Amino acid sequence: MQVVSVDQGQVCMRLTPQSWMFAQEDTNEICTSVLYSLADSAGGLAVFAGALELMPIATLDLRMDYLRPVSGDHALLAVATCRHLTNEVAFIHCDILSEGKRELLATANATFMRNTPGQQFRADRLKKEGA
Amino acid sequence: MSTVVDPAQQCSGPAESGKEYADWQALLERIPYARHLGLEVQRDDAGVLVHLPCREALIGNFMLPALHGGVLGALIELTARVAAQSRDAETRCPRILDSHINYLRSAQARSTFARAQIVRQGRRTSLVQVTCWQGEKSKPIVSGQVQLLLPTMATQQEDRHGH
Repeated sequence: MQVVSVDQGQVCMRLTPQSWMFAQEDTNEICTSVLYSLADSAGGLAVFAGALELMPIATLDLRMDYLRPVSGDHALLAVATCRHLTNEVAFIHCDILSEGKRELLATANATFMRNTPGQQFRADRLKKEGA
Repeated sequence: MSTVVDPAQQCSGPAESGKEYADWQALLERIPYARHLGLEVQRDDAGVLVHLPCREALIGNFMLPALHGGVLGALIELTARVAAQSRDAETRCPRILDSHINYLRSAQARSTFARAQIVRQGRRTSLVQVTCWQGEKSKPIVSGQVQLLLPTMATQQEDRHGH
């Protein structure tokens, strides 16, 4: 996965298909789960792009709609937009397109929790502050 | 205390799970992406389940550390697909239409298990609910619903004529 661009609140990522991403042995159809991962990654980055700060985040939920089967002939582009941001939550929309053809392959809507330091993260920070 | 298992709610009973285990394994082996993730079928007293062994490449956040949310999405989608396909009388290969996944607890860098429950298996579609856990079964970390389309003559023609 490569990051193509990061604009205010919008991120574009690119993924070149590989044979291990296929959904079945005898086809070159990409597994939907690969698009899911791409949307989750681009969505997470869009939270940072919208908030303009790096704080731990966590995916709360993600809904994907797979509009058409995806062949491995073209690279995939994910365009994720931060639709709304509150102190605690970020609402993200992500479109996945086929590079060159600019055909819409899948759409995603996700909600991310912001400022979610895990226990380990909190413990590390306490340790540092204590030292 | 004894628990009553409603046969309609459960994906399989212990008597059937031998065949189901073999079916699931055969279906999972044919998915390159499932092999890449290292997914494997397991069996317990409640039926078949899918195991995702943890390895460094699957970590999404090294600070926590936690599994990548996309990997858990894949575990749910692929478990749903295998469950729907093995339940179909003609083992037609389903197409995933949509999935809605909720993250309930943080996923640690350790083994994860997924179990499918078929909410409804229709003639053209199948709705599967998948729940994942790590340590305790009673504390699910992710749960999701996947809607799948089972191919009919009409959908095959549509695919051939370029969607």
